[in-house]
Amino acid sequence: MTTMDRLVGAGVDRIDGPAKVRGTAPYAYEQDPGEPIAHLAVVQSTVNRGRISRLDPSRAEALPGVLAVLTPANAPRLGKGLASDLPVLQSLDVHYQGQVVAAVVAETSEIAKAAVGAIAVGYDAEPPDVALSPDREDLYAPEKLMAGFATDSIIGDVDGALAAAVVSIDATYETPTQHHNPIEMHTSMARWDGDSLTLWDADQGPHNIVNDLVTGFGLDAGQVRVISPYVGGAFGSKAFTHPNQMLAAMAARVVGRTVVYELTRQQMFSLVGHRTPTIQRLRLGADPEGRLTAISHEVVEHTARIAEFAEQTATPTRVLYAAPHRRTTHRLARLDVPPPTIMRAPGETPGMFALESAMDELAVVLGLDPVELRIRNEPERDPERDLPWSTRNLVECLRTGAERFGWAGRDLRPGVRTEGRWLVGTGVASATYPTRRRKAQCRISVDGAGRYVVEIDGSDIGTGAWTALTQIAADALGTDMASVELRIGDSRLPFAGGAGGSTGLASWGTAIVFTARDLRKQLDEQHGGQPPAGGLSVDGELPGESPHAKTHSMHAYGAHFVEVRVDRDSGEVRVPRATSVYDAGTIVNAKTARSQLLGGFSMGVSMALHEGSVTDERYGHYVNHDLAEYHVATNADIGEIDISWLDVDDQLANPIGLKGIGEIGITGAAAAVANAYWHATRLRIRDLPITPDKYFRELGES
Amino acid sequence: MDFLQPTSWADALAVRAERSDAVPIAGGTDVMVDLNFDRRRPGALLDLGRVPELREWTVEDGTGGVGATGGVGGSTVRLGAGVPYSRIIDDLGARLPGLAMAARTVGSPQIRIRGTVGGNLGSASPAGDAHPPLLAAGAVVEVESAARGVRRIPAAEFFTGVKRNALEPDELIAAVLVPEAVGPQQFCKVGTRNAMVIAVSAFACALHPDRRAVGTGIGSAAPTPRRAPEAEEFLAGELESAGLWESRGDLPDGLARAFGERVAAAASPIDDVRGSAAYRRHSLAVMARRSVTWAWAEYQQDLRKAA
Amino acid sequence: MRITTTVNGTEHEVDDVWAGESLLYVLRERMGLPGSKNACEQGECGSCTVYLDGEPVCACLVAAGQAIGREVTTVEGLATEGELHPVQEAFVEAGAVQCGFCTPGLLVAAHDLLERVPDPSDLEIREALAGNLCRCTGYEKILDAVRLAAARQARP
Repeated sequence: MTTMDRLVGAGVDRIDGPAKVRGTAPYAYEQDPGEPIAHLAVVQSTVNRGRISRLDPSRAEALPGVLAVLTPANAPRLGKGLASDLPVLQSLDVHYQGQVVAAVVAETSEIAKAAVGAIAVGYDAEPPDVALSPDREDLYAPEKLMAGFATDSIIGDVDGALAAAVVSIDATYETPTQHHNPIEMHTSMARWDGDSLTLWDADQGPHNIVNDLVTGFGLDAGQVRVISPYVGGAFGSKAFTHPNQMLAAMAARVVGRTVVYELTRQQMFSLVGHRTPTIQRLRLGADPEGRLTAISHEVVEHTARIAEFAEQTATPTRVLYAAPHRRTTHRLARLDVPPPTIMRAPGETPGMFALESAMDELAVVLGLDPVELRIRNEPERDPERDLPWSTRNLVECLRTGAERFGWAGRDLRPGVRTEGRWLVGTGVASATYPTRRRKAQCRISVDGAGRYVVEIDGSDIGTGAWTALTQIAADALGTDMASVELRIGDSRLPFAGGAGGSTGLASWGTAIVFTARDLRKQLDEQHGGQPPAGGLSVDGELPGESPHAKTHSMHAYGAHFVEVRVDRDSGEVRVPRATSVYDAGTIVNAKTARSQLLGGFSMGVSMALHEGSVTDERYGHYVNHDLAEYHVATNADIGEIDISWLDVDDQLANPIGLKGIGEIGITGAAAAVANAYWHATRLRIRDLPITPDKYFRELGES
Repeated sequence: MDFLQPTSWADALAVRAERSDAVPIAGGTDVMVDLNFDRRRPGALLDLGRVPELREWTVEDGTGGVGATGGVGGSTVRLGAGVPYSRIIDDLGARLPGLAMAARTVGSPQIRIRGTVGGNLGSASPAGDAHPPLLAAGAVVEVESAARGVRRIPAAEFFTGVKRNALEPDELIAAVLVPEAVGPQQFCKVGTRNAMVIAVSAFACALHPDRRAVGTGIGSAAPTPRRAPEAEEFLAGELESAGLWESRGDLPDGLARAFGERVAAAASPIDDVRGSAAYRRHSLAVMARRSVTWAWAEYQQDLRKAA
Repeated sequence: MRITTTVNGTEHEVDDVWAGESLLYVLRERMGLPGSKNACEQGECGSCTVYLDGEPVCACLVAAGQAIGREVTTVEGLATEGELHPVQEAFVEAGAVQCGFCTPGLLVAAHDLLERVPDPSDLEIREALAGNLCRCTGYEKILDAVRLAAARQARP
């Protein structure tokens, strides 16, 4: 496999780079449907729960340039079987604030917006129930969690072990509602030709969207085509269908021409999902040497009235550390909120904040180096599934990271280092994320000249998949990248699941490798190793999980080391430097991978210090629903970040040996920041984000 | 919606008088957000971007009778309402150091190139970055109408409520008259991130050694930007009785702290998404202490500006 | 109303512009120049940054009428004769581009910085790009790209 060494691993420039820097890469809004486009704008409910009592579209309908006003009274009926908030405009019931209660289609977006303002809506409303609390009496255990994880896991006698533990901690951590806010707003442009629908769409996987359109509009799969070559970021919000796709398709059908719906930034806070807030109680028991005897991780989070979304928050606790007695539980409150959804490392991101903060607190009680505490609790096998690891190099990540960061000789005492008015501290946290892969199909064609076309409905939402898959294909085909044309982002292409869960390259790449092997075999066996003059086309498939997934526990790992500075007068926080080391298996493209890992870690810093959607519990809305008030990290908030990875090749996971890199960077990152914050200040902030006012809250000064 | 684009100040006033439904727009950094979010649809936009008079700044000497509460015989900068922050930073750092410091913290480079002090005053947000240094310097806002001519309103009287100001419907902001600094000035602002920050709280102070006075301005910690008069008088009096204005001796730490506490007491902040009321008060005390300490250190070193 | 503006060296004239439209809207919807991106509508993200009479501004905050008779340069105008500008090249090469939606605005801001300050310090780079949000990259590679472009530019 000499060709494998040539391309996979190389830091190749991204294929889509030139079009993006020229500003010519066509995102969903910029596609040419071949006819004049009508614009859609929506009326959103101002109450969280109730029923529409009055809705008068007549003034809007009378405005020049308005093509149609869709309301629950006149909107086309959608097929049964749509989940969550996808049955748009099908009922007068309101389930969350921001729900679409009417839509206007007009010649221009300006007319559409004006018409929205002309629609009067009245509600019979009940008070909003939006406050999450562990004391709610209506908390319930979902049947199972996202991605099929069990709701609870209980091994041994946790309470007994905690009571008997020589050293223990018991702390509750909170993470707020967060919104993905990719820089591109969700956009859907729909065109009907007879009973065939074309949707140019900003999503993470066209096939994911097709299914709901088929269900909603009573079509065959062949009658729907979703096209999404360029997507301006996603982070989970674009993984599944949201009301925007249904609305665009519905409106285009009604007015008989192409309709585009581009959400406003403010609508991004109600219509396309969010990360659930969490309240997590962590209890750890240990012996005097720091060996864990018990771990208990109990999670309370929310879901919507109309859809159950059970985030798998405590699942990293099931794999990270050894302990004979262990328990993880998840309980949900059904609230009058928009449906939550997956957001970068759903589960691991909030869960690891709690677990890795608690481990730091335990290290403090023990007077032990927190790196050493983690190493002492390294499990030989998956502690809950009792399986061997495929590959696991967490300890190596911790050791390598400690060396790169300059951890040795760190003074364990908090609040003793100052530089001018800055309190300085350092912190560490582990990272982990499951390695999985999903069913995917692929077609590879070669022409007589040896030029290959690789077709698969994969997605590049900014990850670098376009480039990395081309590298994988070129190696698998034994050719160079220039001889491979990769086609992705179109539901007409062979089936693949969307980008998400760090499964993209593992699934699509493996499908490509399998198909390429088959193609080469056919070339060798039937054509003497040369492409026939008329060309050859081969379809291949990856059935799904690795056959070793049942016998081995597969995860990516990492370790973050962070320096934090806190202004002792104002409480302002800075993160001047960080080191992260990853065990993410084979790194396919050193350049795009580095950016992905940097971006994931930075989103974790952003989570630690800035991000949180604030709910007004009286009126039930998100107060800070735009980018001026929902703060994400700016370049000035991100210091020098040193990213590296171990040389790992996990052949049990997939033939490329990769583990996925989209999520691992964010997991644990917020805990590393909070732990360093404690080391700087002696203050333990257990509720994110760590804003300046919390410094004084903890000091008891304000 | 009409787009009205006068090319002289006289025309602008005439249009303003005629079209009470017009919203003046300068750099657009506030008005365009309202339009983009469809929060308002005025009958017209009155673009002040082509009125040359608004884009100039000049220095008027103390005898010019501009009415500012500036130093005795000191000069006053007449800052056209349409001068963008970027030019204040480039041109006026020495004459109006407090305002220039605040200008550097406005939004981003793109916003500073477009945003203007006139626009900030027109929006009259309690969080407007220009307001605290204007208050501390004792600036005067010059407004004008076609019917009644010029009015000069001290900055401290200009802000009348949350996002409300003393402008009459037929008036436009012509300029702000800011006494040139005769002593050190400082501006501080805290936010929840490191750039692109709307102030959680902000503070400006100015030392006026010529008249042995102290100026203050508080931002984002009350329904309007406001001064802290008691803190000003307290500090000026203490400096006076200790002979520090003359001796330029060290500023006692306790005095800076006491000043900070009085500044905090002058605020009436609220809890909101950007920060708690308690934090706003606390941070004001910190910023006031810090900024007066820095200002005093500068005063000690800067014999040039001896009164 | 009619808007006549020179964009990327070419005079564009469009009619029936609504007075409340932004320059960004006119560029994208009426002039066929979708390179500048609409992403926050309030000047917070910088994705719509263009030159207006030689200065970088958020096109979403410029009323269309304010651009009448002015010179506008968008990301589409940075490359000349088909060749990428060195800043564009550096963005691709340094790995500063991911989803690409913030990229056009960042390129204009970075281009402006290097025009004014050929050899910028890290602080100057950070300051010049302070108004441009990126949700993918963590910014590190964007800073690298500007450093790379500056270094290339310095070489004869």
